[in-house]
Amino acid sequence: MNVIVLILTILFAGAALSFFAKKITPQASSVVSFVAILSATLLFFLSGKPDAVNFNLGSFDLEWQLSDFGYIFAVIVLVLATLISLYSISYMKGMPHLGYFNSNFMLSVASMMGIVLSSDFISLFIFWEIMTWSSYLLVIYKGRQETSKIGIKYIIFSAVGAYAMLTAIVLINARVGTTNISEAIELGALGAENILIPILLLIGFSVKAATMPLHVWAPGAYSESPMSFTALFSGALSKMGVLGISIVFSALMLDVEFVLSAIVLQQIIMWLGGITAVVATLYALIQQDAKRLLAYSSVGQLGYITIGLASGTKLGVMAGLFMAVMHAAIKAVLFMAVGAVERQVGTTDMTKISGLIKKMPYTFFATLVAIIALAGVPPVGGFVGKWMLYESLITSNSYFLVVLIFFSSTAAFLYSYRILFGLFLGQEEDNVKNVKEAPITMVAPMVVLSIFLIVAGTFPGIVFEPLASGMAYLGYVDVNWNMSVLQNVWGNEVHLESISTIIGIVFVLAVVFITLKGYKKTRQVSTKDISTSGEIPWEHENMNYQQDFFKPFERAFSGMYKGDMGKFWVELGCALGSLANFVRKIYTGNGQTYAIYVVSFLALLLLILNK
Amino acid sequence: MNDILLTILAAIVTTIMAFTVGMLYGGIVRKLTARVQNRVGPPIYQNFIDLMKLEFKTTNIHHGLMSHLGPVWIITAAVSVLMFIPIVHGGMLLPGFSIENLTFKGDLIFLIYMMTFGSLGMALGAGETGNPNSAIGVTRGLSLMTGFEIPFVLALVALMIQYQTTSITGFMQIQEETGTWMMFSNPFAFIAALMASLGMFRYSPFDIVGAPAEIASGPASEFGGKYLGMMMSGGSIFAFIKLVLYVDVFMGGAHSIPELLLKTFVLYMVPVFYGWINPRYRTEQAIRWFYKWPLIFGVIGVIWAIY
Amino acid sequence: MIEANDKETQGVVDYIKNFIRKHSIFMLAYGTGCGAIELPATLTSRYDAERLGIRGAATPRQADVLLITGYLSTKTLKRVIRVYEQMQDPKYVIGFGSCTINGGMYFDSYNTINSLAQYIPVDIYINGCMPRPEAILAGFEELQKKIQKGEADNGTKYQENIEWYRANQKKIIKNWRMPDYNW
Repeated sequence: MNVIVLILTILFAGAALSFFAKKITPQASSVVSFVAILSATLLFFLSGKPDAVNFNLGSFDLEWQLSDFGYIFAVIVLVLATLISLYSISYMKGMPHLGYFNSNFMLSVASMMGIVLSSDFISLFIFWEIMTWSSYLLVIYKGRQETSKIGIKYIIFSAVGAYAMLTAIVLINARVGTTNISEAIELGALGAENILIPILLLIGFSVKAATMPLHVWAPGAYSESPMSFTALFSGALSKMGVLGISIVFSALMLDVEFVLSAIVLQQIIMWLGGITAVVATLYALIQQDAKRLLAYSSVGQLGYITIGLASGTKLGVMAGLFMAVMHAAIKAVLFMAVGAVERQVGTTDMTKISGLIKKMPYTFFATLVAIIALAGVPPVGGFVGKWMLYESLITSNSYFLVVLIFFSSTAAFLYSYRILFGLFLGQEEDNVKNVKEAPITMVAPMVVLSIFLIVAGTFPGIVFEPLASGMAYLGYVDVNWNMSVLQNVWGNEVHLESISTIIGIVFVLAVVFITLKGYKKTRQVSTKDISTSGEIPWEHENMNYQQDFFKPFERAFSGMYKGDMGKFWVELGCALGSLANFVRKIYTGNGQTYAIYVVSFLALLLLILNK
Repeated sequence: MNDILLTILAAIVTTIMAFTVGMLYGGIVRKLTARVQNRVGPPIYQNFIDLMKLEFKTTNIHHGLMSHLGPVWIITAAVSVLMFIPIVHGGMLLPGFSIENLTFKGDLIFLIYMMTFGSLGMALGAGETGNPNSAIGVTRGLSLMTGFEIPFVLALVALMIQYQTTSITGFMQIQEETGTWMMFSNPFAFIAALMASLGMFRYSPFDIVGAPAEIASGPASEFGGKYLGMMMSGGSIFAFIKLVLYVDVFMGGAHSIPELLLKTFVLYMVPVFYGWINPRYRTEQAIRWFYKWPLIFGVIGVIWAIY
Repeated sequence: MIEANDKETQGVVDYIKNFIRKHSIFMLAYGTGCGAIELPATLTSRYDAERLGIRGAATPRQADVLLITGYLSTKTLKRVIRVYEQMQDPKYVIGFGSCTINGGMYFDSYNTINSLAQYIPVDIYINGCMPRPEAILAGFEELQKKIQKGEADNGTKYQENIEWYRANQKKIIKNWRMPDYNW
């Protein structure tokens, strides 16, 4: 049996099995889904490059194939899914509807693999819809009043995206008579002459990547679904949008000579990406809830990725893809960590928890590494992506965009610090006194991914290698990459290995010095032992600074917080509704009115013809 | 083997020099401030004495691992950045004694990010102490950073596109070859960067982070003894680094230590003088200040560089 | 005792340490009473204490010397003890004005303590009501001499005699709710 078919069969069968396995015990369903994903992953990595599969569906030729480009995303999906389903076993323990959750989880993993593997638009669309619906069912998993509202928001935006995509596919088929992706690209169907097709496809893909102005669903949906799914949602599922966007842009930019409409579209998307990054960051840093904060941050980070992919330069696309890989790991770690906190403490409201560092040290370590990567500080992986993005933009004449995203990434320090401080640092209050570290199956996936982030900061080459071959598949020739040296087109270099070495040496020396100096007379005191002008705080006195954390910043940027993209869509919806009402006035449903229409139309026709 | 030893020696010498100069400048500023206020003032080596006193404290307290490591982050960031910044042309620290640090292995974007490494780590340390004043200080500092980074980056981007390089050594070479300092070839970028430096050095009116009267010295409020001492030395090295960065990028670098000292000192006096005649801003005022003239000058600088 | 800590008999390291300590004194002015008003004059242009290496510190963690400026009510005593215990060794206390010595004009008040040395060890008393800035500087000079001789180690004395101090403190502070002072 073909490996591709086998992997998809395992995953889809796992979905069905895990639904029925809950009949044995609810826990069995989680275990079944983990085992299914693990075996699919092992099969994928051990079997080498699989052959293509062809078959017919009606008059369309479907083809499933693992391209070099799809390989990147297949690895993201499978690795994340394996780790997250391991995490999910403990996280979902004792929660209701485990069969429902796990089978939908498996379905979304399976459909993502399907998207990655499909090399024609028809099967891509089918898997895309499966992915949308399974993720929708997980968004509304909690079944509360607000949850269903958020779910409706999500499904409406996804439906709009799906229709746009379907229209684009029909147009492509009408234009070049094939639905195979690479053939269509070769025949120029995605080229700049017919700019409508790329735009429609971009709308379809951008909905999943949550780019402005189609991001409205994301914060709610990310924070409402169970955290173990959000880790996959934000980590892998949003990357399907990235996959689509990069295909569209590579086709658009490499296909023919640069035309104005293509450049305008490129600039629009890049600026939309930049605005997404800024606005989402500004909203992220005023959130009180860790989940919502991460959700906004996720939207912002995908803004960077979009900029990189849309820039069309080799370094820019490489940066976008690299950041996509990093972001997958970062957001998986962070959502898993927040999920662990939610499970152990019972809330993710940062005004209610603090001082978890001594209770949950491993979770803190993973979060710390992921946050350093998110902020883009060397020597962790996030820096590499940020560096390449800046350099690619500076060297390709997008100066003001650089400053815009620099602002957003500086402001990203604020929310990065907010989440670390809000959850792990600060006073140890009474309500976290009995909190314990999350079970090993939850901690291990986080720590594994954070170690990957550290390694990728020094040796990004391990990620560059598949990225380079993937980009070669997309049509970018001669992509340079080095194991641990970054290089821009002006020939300026950053040697990551020596950076990490120096940081490591200095860090170790300083740690040794500060620890050994006066070791015996250095003592640790509790966080209640702080200088408060001599006042001794009572047990119940909350000494935590959590409310309105960045109030001065908010005041300085008060003008930026007035707009709301959600309102825009609501008003658009209202406008559409009144338009529909107007149309409804014509279609009254009354036979006599229709008769008048017919008669008057005929009269009009006669009048015109008689002239 | 010899090369490695020489590199290590170079690293140590550079670190000691940066530390000494930074501390000395701090002392000079204290003396000058005193003279401006018609006082005698402490001796210019007072900062060294203060530092040693802090290191000689016999007992020390910390609030946990992160607050124990907080000062370590600062010193790590400071020394690492120092390794990647060219102090003088060709590493000629003394006549006849030439050493290379690792300048060719990093560039400006890297430096900007690496400089935030220390503040982020320090913020973690300050956060773990649980003192509300520390957290307030940290939020103020991070908010202020969103202010001054933007004109600074605009200025650097202007220079990068004007000279098609992002490495500091590249900038120094270009200025050497053309014979014009960047502060003259793109004056608007220089003005924007100079205004950004006011926030970077945190003298008033931008001393909102460690405001002693409002928030009890902010992030440092729970650190004493060896921890405070390490923070002080890290801060001094950072002051020197920022000055050298400005000199390298805008003022053509230096060929010898005296030249470097002269240039950095003149540059250092700008925020100090501005601080003497200004009271403290509130945080939001400080941020907004950077989004007026510095931003405008930065944008003009970029447009100047394009045309 | 004085001979044992004399310059000749001190080790070189101790001598240098004490020399450094005496020239860098971070003071935490605990403005309990009216005496606090003399400190701005001491620190600013006219008297300029900074030339002697004396400067203000913001929190007890950074401070070397605690100034008790004037009368100490029973209510503030608790705070003073807390602040003193949060300071790091070596630490010094200056009792400031007559009130800290014998209660001064409040000697028969129900609400103030009479002798500060009963509750925390005091290195130097500055006499007067109010002591002028000249007197404060003279007091600091005395403190510097004491530090140079190596006699200013009241932090350890406080640790050794903690029971005695605690007993005295508890006599005044009725609702005792202090964290344990763990070394």
